[in-house]
Amino acid sequence: MNSMDSTKGKIGLKELLALILLDVGTKVADDTPHTFYEDFGNAAWIGILLIGLITLIPILLLTKLIKLYKDKNLIDIILHLFGKYIGFVLLFILWIMQVFANISNSAIYTDIIGTMYFNRTPVVVIYVVLVAVAAYGAKKGVEYIGSSAWVILFWVILSLLIILVVTFVQGEFTYIFPILGTGGWEIVKGSYNHSSLLTDFLYFGFIASNVKNSTVFNKGIWIGFSIVILSFVLALIGYVMLFDYYGVRMFDYPYHETIRYIEIGFLTNVELLFFPFWLVSSFIRFSFYLYLSALLFGALFKIKHFEYVVPALAALTMLVGLMPESAVFSMNKLKIIFLNVIAPVFLLLPILLWITAKLKGDFKK
Amino acid sequence: MEEITALKKKTIDSNLEDTIEIFKQFYSVPLNKDIIIRNFSIGGLDKKATVIYINSITDSEKIEEHIIRPLLMNSVSEKKLENISPAQLINTYEIYEDILQDINNGNTALFIDGEPKAYVFSSTKFQGRSVEKPLNEVVVKGPKEAFNENVIDNISLLRKKIRSENLIFESYTISKSSKNVLYIVYMKDLVNEELLKNVKSKITSIDVNAIQNLSLLEEYIEDKNTSIFPTILSTERPDRATSYLEDGYIALLMDNSPDALILPATFWSFFHNSEDHYLRFLFGNFIRLLRFMALMITLFISAIYISVTNYHVEMIPTDLLLAMSASREVVPFPSIIEILLMEIAFELIREGGLRVPNPIGPTIGIVGALILGQAAVEANIVSPLVVIIVALSGLCSFAIGDIKLNFSVRLARFIFIFAAAFFGFYGMTALFTIGLFYIVSLYSFGVPYLAPMTPKYISSKDTFFRKILKNEQYRPGYLKPKDIVKKKEIQ
Amino acid sequence: MRKFQHLSPILFFIFIIPLLSGCWDQTSIEERAYVVAIGLDKSKSGNENQIQVTYLLGNPEFSKKEAMTNEPPMEMITFDTNDVTVGKNKANTVIAKEISFNLLSVILVSEEFAKDKNFIRWMYDTTKEREIKRKTPVIVTKEETTKFFKQNRPKLESRIHKYYDYILKYGSEAGMIPNSESNIGKYYRTTQADASLYLAIYGTSEKSDYSRSNEEDSFMAGEMKVGEETNKVQFMGSAVFKEGKMIGKLTGEETRATVLLNDTLEMGAILATYKDPFDERYRITAKLLKKEKTDVKMDLKNPLPKINVSIPIYLDILTQHSMVDYANDSQKRERLKQSIEEEISDTLDALIKKTQEEFKGEPFGWATLARKQFLTIKEFENYDWMKTYPEIDVNIEVKVNIGNFGNQSDVPNLEEMRD
Repeated sequence: MNSMDSTKGKIGLKELLALILLDVGTKVADDTPHTFYEDFGNAAWIGILLIGLITLIPILLLTKLIKLYKDKNLIDIILHLFGKYIGFVLLFILWIMQVFANISNSAIYTDIIGTMYFNRTPVVVIYVVLVAVAAYGAKKGVEYIGSSAWVILFWVILSLLIILVVTFVQGEFTYIFPILGTGGWEIVKGSYNHSSLLTDFLYFGFIASNVKNSTVFNKGIWIGFSIVILSFVLALIGYVMLFDYYGVRMFDYPYHETIRYIEIGFLTNVELLFFPFWLVSSFIRFSFYLYLSALLFGALFKIKHFEYVVPALAALTMLVGLMPESAVFSMNKLKIIFLNVIAPVFLLLPILLWITAKLKGDFKK
Repeated sequence: MEEITALKKKTIDSNLEDTIEIFKQFYSVPLNKDIIIRNFSIGGLDKKATVIYINSITDSEKIEEHIIRPLLMNSVSEKKLENISPAQLINTYEIYEDILQDINNGNTALFIDGEPKAYVFSSTKFQGRSVEKPLNEVVVKGPKEAFNENVIDNISLLRKKIRSENLIFESYTISKSSKNVLYIVYMKDLVNEELLKNVKSKITSIDVNAIQNLSLLEEYIEDKNTSIFPTILSTERPDRATSYLEDGYIALLMDNSPDALILPATFWSFFHNSEDHYLRFLFGNFIRLLRFMALMITLFISAIYISVTNYHVEMIPTDLLLAMSASREVVPFPSIIEILLMEIAFELIREGGLRVPNPIGPTIGIVGALILGQAAVEANIVSPLVVIIVALSGLCSFAIGDIKLNFSVRLARFIFIFAAAFFGFYGMTALFTIGLFYIVSLYSFGVPYLAPMTPKYISSKDTFFRKILKNEQYRPGYLKPKDIVKKKEIQ
Repeated sequence: MRKFQHLSPILFFIFIIPLLSGCWDQTSIEERAYVVAIGLDKSKSGNENQIQVTYLLGNPEFSKKEAMTNEPPMEMITFDTNDVTVGKNKANTVIAKEISFNLLSVILVSEEFAKDKNFIRWMYDTTKEREIKRKTPVIVTKEETTKFFKQNRPKLESRIHKYYDYILKYGSEAGMIPNSESNIGKYYRTTQADASLYLAIYGTSEKSDYSRSNEEDSFMAGEMKVGEETNKVQFMGSAVFKEGKMIGKLTGEETRATVLLNDTLEMGAILATYKDPFDERYRITAKLLKKEKTDVKMDLKNPLPKINVSIPIYLDILTQHSMVDYANDSQKRERLKQSIEEEISDTLDALIKKTQEEFKGEPFGWATLARKQFLTIKEFENYDWMKTYPEIDVNIEVKVNIGNFGNQSDVPNLEEMRD
């Protein structure tokens, strides 16, 4: 692939933004809201705002670090600041976290596709297709995942907007009262527990060296952050408006229930119109996750062309994901415990890094 | 044979008669009827001279008027040949090979007794079409001239539109035995040097006996032979070629090819039509939108029909669903086979229609379309909805003007049908995502296939929708032209 | 190139497989039997675990243009089973195609079954069934659903799903039945919220007597005497559910009043009659429109909680048999206005009394409005709206705005004419 321009392999602002929005934004449409409603009641949207506030500091510190160490990504920074051995352990933990996130999420998404749309198809087949497409994208490289994300971003956002508008029109605004849901203190506690929702932002640090420059990276992170929080707030309000707190609490997958419920004009069943858009953003999300796990694996074991690890990791993800018997329950529970455990890692790591950098005097240079 | 090749490398004899004998041997003269060898003596100098030329590819009047007559009529001695004959003297050659090459190109060789060199005069006149209307790229409003097989005519058409000294036509001989000549065209002050070097190195590395025209050349220089999407644009309209040249692209011209190759080519080069810019702003954008819709329809509609009738029946509004169910009850085939039958039939009709001789043409159209479709429905082989769907997808594929992209889309349509048969919307979306990853990672001579949509470059922002011409200020940044500003801002 | 020689047959087989095999979820569109309506009844066999399920299948042939078939427009099958989903397989002993609920328009429940305390268990089956949408309307029938289906033979709608769609839509625009959006989804929501009452549409095919009274619409389904050649089935009034079980009925007029009070139930333009203050013998027909939201003010922190409701109504007077000249006399209009306001308030007060005393719950959606007054869910649940509602003092104020008087506002003076 000969190319004569210097942007080869670099991600621009648009692609980074699209990647962030599709990666984190798709969480609105899987089982993540389910746990929110259990902990926050109908004040889930307030919970999101609080989560945004809590994670503001770690993300801010992360951007500061990226700006300081130009052309280095988070892997390099960790190794530089913490040395080879602690850095290795830390990266290993992060890699295990990523792999686990891959496995649980892909199992859950396979379950969504199976229960909502393809009842009788064996889970293996759905899983294989999901993982195969994700592996193909991951092998190509992150700049292509970003480009693809930008190409379809417009359509995905359009579909989401339509859903939101229809939901707001067909829903009852009064269902979001009582405002504080389960209560003030509950919300704060829950926000802390669920702050790992935005761990992905930490992982974006790993591709910082693929982005054109650090200003672009920081800009992308902040714009992506605000839009993601906004879309979460709107979506969570939307779900409650349509189904009320009592009902939405019982849904495993509120987004899919929503698109089965709403009607647009004479079309009574619009779920299949929105299904492909959700699917494409899920594919992009898993491609990116696979790429990240391959990247970290390559950094850990010093493999330069880590793209070739992708198929192996993909197969591993699938095999482990198929193991539990009923993904809905076991994976959900595991995922909740997992998310609660990694919340402190996500919140503390940038702080630790920043303090170390300050102590090392790198900021003065 | 070896003697002849060795002989070709020698210089010619001063003795005129020997030289002519050798030439007769080269050309198998009594056998080869259109080689003319004319002996005469130059007046004034009193020397014997011979002209050799090939009758069918030279302008014989010019030879007689400008070469032979002045030499015959010459009365002054000791004049230089250039001052006697008004014909354009191309070169003087000493080696047989070079003289042969030039005579084969339609020039005339003059041999003078006692001089060990030949004077070659330009007199080429090949037979071919004149400049006609474009056959494949039809516009309603805009110039209607097309390239023809004569490369000099084509060059003239291009120079007519860009009257600048910076428009360069470089020529390369690209094949060994047929000696086909390729012209590389570019604007010297705009094109990127590296791109040019890249293209030239690709061309000079071709080591083949014959490349007759551009369509064959394309396969030799394109980046990926097996890719489903084309990476070099070919156009038969000079106005299109000049608009690309002025943006910093490179064009290739060749004899026997009534088109020009433009490279590098992005997806948008294939998607856009020159008419978009010739119409007014709103109408041009409207047509673009229509074309995009046509692209989507032709790719997906058959696949959507298969997914919906087999996997996702809930999607159809109730009345349509019941109607479809009723009409499908009597059809013996599953919907996938129905669609495949009709699609293949449509493709056959299309290919057949291209080759049908003119007198029968319209009749076949009526027979094929009306009767076949109608009869198939009456015989309960297919349901009427399938006829509509296949006809729609076929017609929409014509909206994509470029023939290569047209083929890509047709092929892709079939792959989508299979994906839909396998897994409904899930399969279609999976294939679409794979296709997206694939198309985003294609390169055409170093330029990403979907540029400037992604990755981002400075450009005239004319990707999907076009802007008012005033606002299309920049040349495409992905070509790295030397001068990126096309127009200054109008105050 | 040797590798590729084997590639093409392999590819060929790979491509052929989906065409020849069934790809798991693949069922062709004409191989499904579409259930248009489901009827649920109590099982006659006395088995507590079983219910009697009726499937009404629509015939797709009638949706084709040239429907020259001798087939009937619908087919019905009734049997005992555990629940709706397992019945799908049982039905295939008789029905030739695969049963599909994709086109389900309506779920019918017999009154007897709805009053059963276990009714809610079977209703919740529909959440698990993927093909039943949450927007499916629920209808309570007076008699057994099988009988209802048998007697329901609409003369002008041979496509039965269309019949249900239209009659529910237009019936609810007139306010006679609660908005056809009273569907399964709302049933779940209201039952789980445990604060308001749920209204379902009430219909029947049986005739019953009713005592003629002055008012037009204070009767239930089945009580309107309709003669001549038309369908026997009538939809009018609503069934009231509390905590998942049916506890009572509302007449057509009461349902209309509920629609007026409840902003979440949409109404179209309602045509109603009122007493004419100037002539006791005749009544006035008016078209009601609600252009603004009902204003509900709640004072719940008080030991004596109060609710003040103010309803703005726009009236267009369409007929006046009394021939009184309202158009030109503002005093007469004032009197008309007051009389109508009084009449409407009386109806509403009677309805409120009924809900507070008989039902001990309200179907007006005030529970959700009350939620605004609380900060957390726990507070609201502690307050227990369902229990406190009967004690609340409700004041209703009706504000009537008279619009126009029909196409022609002036009426001839009868006495002058008949002199």
